[in-house]
Amino acid sequence: MAGAVPMTATTFTETVADYLGGELSPLAEFGVALAGAALLATILLGVVGLSAVWLKRKLNARFGDRIAVNRVGPFGLFILFADSLKLLSKEVVVPEGADGFSYKLAPILSVVAVITAFAFIPFGSGLQVADPETGLIFALAFASLGAIPIVMAGYGSNSKYSFIGFEREVAQAIAYEIPLVVSAIAVVPLVAVFADTSAPLRMSEIVAAQQGPLFGIEGLPIPNWFLFAQPVAAALFLVAIFAEFSRNPFDLPEAGSELVAGYLTEYGGVNFVLLFLAEFAAIFFGGALFTALFLGGGSGPFLPAFVWFLVKMMAFYFVVQWLRATVPRVRIDQLLDLGWKYLLELTFLNLLLTAGVLWMVIT
Amino acid sequence: MSVVTRRHEEIQETVEEELPDAVLGIEDHHNAPAILANPSRVDDVVRVLKQNGYNHLSSVSAVEYENRYESVYHLRRITDDREDFDEMNVVAMTDKDEPAVKTVSGVFKGANWHEREAYDLMGIRYDDHPDLRRILLPETWKGHPLREEYDVDQPQYTTLEAHANPIEERYEVDDDGDLDTMFVNIGPHHPATHGVLHLKTVLDGEVVVDVEPDIGYLHRCEEYLCERLNYKYQIMPYPDRWDYVSAGMLNEMAYARCIEDLADIDVPAYAQVVRTLAQELSRMAAHMLAVGTFALDLYGELNVIFMYAFKDREILQEILEDLSGQRLMFNYLRLGGVAYDLPEPREEWFGKIREYLDEVPEKMEEYRNLIERNELLMKRAENTGVLEPELAKEYGCTGPVLRGSGVAYDVREVDPYSYYDELDWDVVTYDGCDNLSRVLVRLGEVEQSARIVEQCIDILEDWDGEQEIQSKVPRSVKPPADTENYTAVEGAKGELGIHIVSDGTEKPHRFKIRSPCFSNLSVFSELAEGEYLADMIATLGSLDLVFGEVDR
Repeated sequence: MAGAVPMTATTFTETVADYLGGELSPLAEFGVALAGAALLATILLGVVGLSAVWLKRKLNARFGDRIAVNRVGPFGLFILFADSLKLLSKEVVVPEGADGFSYKLAPILSVVAVITAFAFIPFGSGLQVADPETGLIFALAFASLGAIPIVMAGYGSNSKYSFIGFEREVAQAIAYEIPLVVSAIAVVPLVAVFADTSAPLRMSEIVAAQQGPLFGIEGLPIPNWFLFAQPVAAALFLVAIFAEFSRNPFDLPEAGSELVAGYLTEYGGVNFVLLFLAEFAAIFFGGALFTALFLGGGSGPFLPAFVWFLVKMMAFYFVVQWLRATVPRVRIDQLLDLGWKYLLELTFLNLLLTAGVLWMVIT
Repeated sequence: MSVVTRRHEEIQETVEEELPDAVLGIEDHHNAPAILANPSRVDDVVRVLKQNGYNHLSSVSAVEYENRYESVYHLRRITDDREDFDEMNVVAMTDKDEPAVKTVSGVFKGANWHEREAYDLMGIRYDDHPDLRRILLPETWKGHPLREEYDVDQPQYTTLEAHANPIEERYEVDDDGDLDTMFVNIGPHHPATHGVLHLKTVLDGEVVVDVEPDIGYLHRCEEYLCERLNYKYQIMPYPDRWDYVSAGMLNEMAYARCIEDLADIDVPAYAQVVRTLAQELSRMAAHMLAVGTFALDLYGELNVIFMYAFKDREILQEILEDLSGQRLMFNYLRLGGVAYDLPEPREEWFGKIREYLDEVPEKMEEYRNLIERNELLMKRAENTGVLEPELAKEYGCTGPVLRGSGVAYDVREVDPYSYYDELDWDVVTYDGCDNLSRVLVRLGEVEQSARIVEQCIDILEDWDGEQEIQSKVPRSVKPPADTENYTAVEGAKGELGIHIVSDGTEKPHRFKIRSPCFSNLSVFSELAEGEYLADMIATLGSLDLVFGEVDR
């Protein structure tokens, strides 16, 4: 189906309906949506699983001048299976005094939250599960939902390392929530102008607005990605999303050398797998959001949109790993300073400026 | 009469004049004269010495004799001037039944831990000591293991209760009951402790209110063992196990220096050069590890600095393996020389080293770039873990920790041994007093070590005399009875001293190890309190502690 479908925004259900010709019955629509969700989840989990275990190790090894896994299967690819087999076959141990309910619920919830969030991502090629008018708000809401399972995990573990880890997560999530949303919102006025739509929060419209040359000037070789049209917002969003999903240099909730593994400390076996998976899926969700908002979604020459989207997501992942190998963790006070004292003000300033400039251009 | 002797006489007179009833006499130790002090006035004697420039308490060593216990204090002058460097010992004799000495922890804060150790292992009570608890052994331990009468076979029960994890929900801090704090055990198994250290930490949010290092998890009775082994062959493998990460050659030198000095053993010049070469290679490897693990503590991940440092260290490790046949537990030095000559073909081996040395300046520049041009790393390393020079001296900190506070005290420079005196090198200091300075000192010292190694190779290549690797040492080394000696070398972490008391047999009567890490760790609480948790971990990393050496 890829390539054949025009870039115009359609959800997976609509794509299938187009193929079959005509309207689908509500039941069929439900079934197709479910199938779409399953397809998406499978692709995602494949990508995430592969990169979580294998690509991360390989990339980090290259940065550090090492080789990393190369014994199990070609290029050590089968380490993925070896690791999953090991982790899944472990006994589920609930620590003494833990709050069993939240301890066990947290891993499931964390995966659910982040996988659901992908429903709003316009992968291009008609691969989008849901495309509501308020798509961006939904996506950002799910992004911040990830903090709740971490709180549950940290509080339920009955361990002080976990406790400090979740405290940090809360402080961090609150500090960076507003900059994240506001810097994302800064693209919305642009969407309204370029895509000429009444629903500028719709994810598919955001992508659609980024097609064509920069600022709609004919013949310009630079695409109209909001990375170029709105670079300040892109930079602020990047910092905020790193903090939101606790990636280096903002990985304080885990803080390997201080808190052992932060909120993950007491987890093992399948529960650990789920939390770990959610964490990596969150990186890709961050990448997907950044791609959709600032990198023109699936736009790009020759290859199908969906492939371009994955490539851009991978590029984001590469940057994450790059920072992991080269930038140390900031301290909690430095982190909060940055969030409250600089990022917050800058994002609002940028939003006001954007609105002001657009208002002047239009009127 | 030499300058040193004259100074000794002057200081003895001063002390006798000021404290006529505290000084009981003068004894002669091999390294310096010893003032026999009244055990209840020993703090006054030490204070007068401190006022007269002996501003560094190296170690407190407890020795048992048939009719008495002695508490021996080794004092030095911290200085960068060889003329000014000097040593002085103070001995407090106490009776056999109720050994009690006045504490000197009021004079030197660093004495606190040293006296606790002496109390723990030898059972000397230090009156007025602020915190006289066991330090290496568990609180429930019965007896004092270095005593003659100690029964090795008696059962020791360390109950679980004695080590119960004090999970206190609220921890009252002495000076402020209103603080809402949390007690956290960091270690003994924790990613940032590089071994087995237990930090009893009290946190107020993210800020460390109180931290107490609990050591002894890696105590392997090294002193006890060495007292039961003969000088000539049996002791030498053990120093490798103190600071076990690459610094083995330096530790071996500490032992070799002390006993060669005491038993009057000559070392041929050729062997001296080989020893110096081996030591500096060892130091470079140890410092590379220190820089790498400091980065590891900041990042918490396998990062670029750590991996590069380990890769560079690996080459040195191979060179050392070529030399000694071993990667870490070298066992290469012998009394009166070294075990083997250089590996053949030696041109090839020299080539290998030169190849490495050629890259050192470039590599160190790269590390500096990685550290100093990384904004975030600088934000974390600068002005954290600030150790003022006065405090460092007070606690007996030495090595890169002291030099990072701007004090140019290096045993190689002020009290030269091996071949250092003939070579051209500089003492590296930085005066930032923070974590960053301590790391930069180590990078600078790697460069200086490279210079020394290069000169050693030049000398060895052009060596036209006899290549004598060992002098003739009697089969059984017996230093004269009733002599004792304290000497130190510049180990990877600082002043690594050995105090040997001889009873005329081929085994030491007392073998005390003055570990630089032990003293450097004792200042840790002062550095960490009031800092953020993350900085505490970074500070711990910058002190470069190896627990094989702290606990011995």
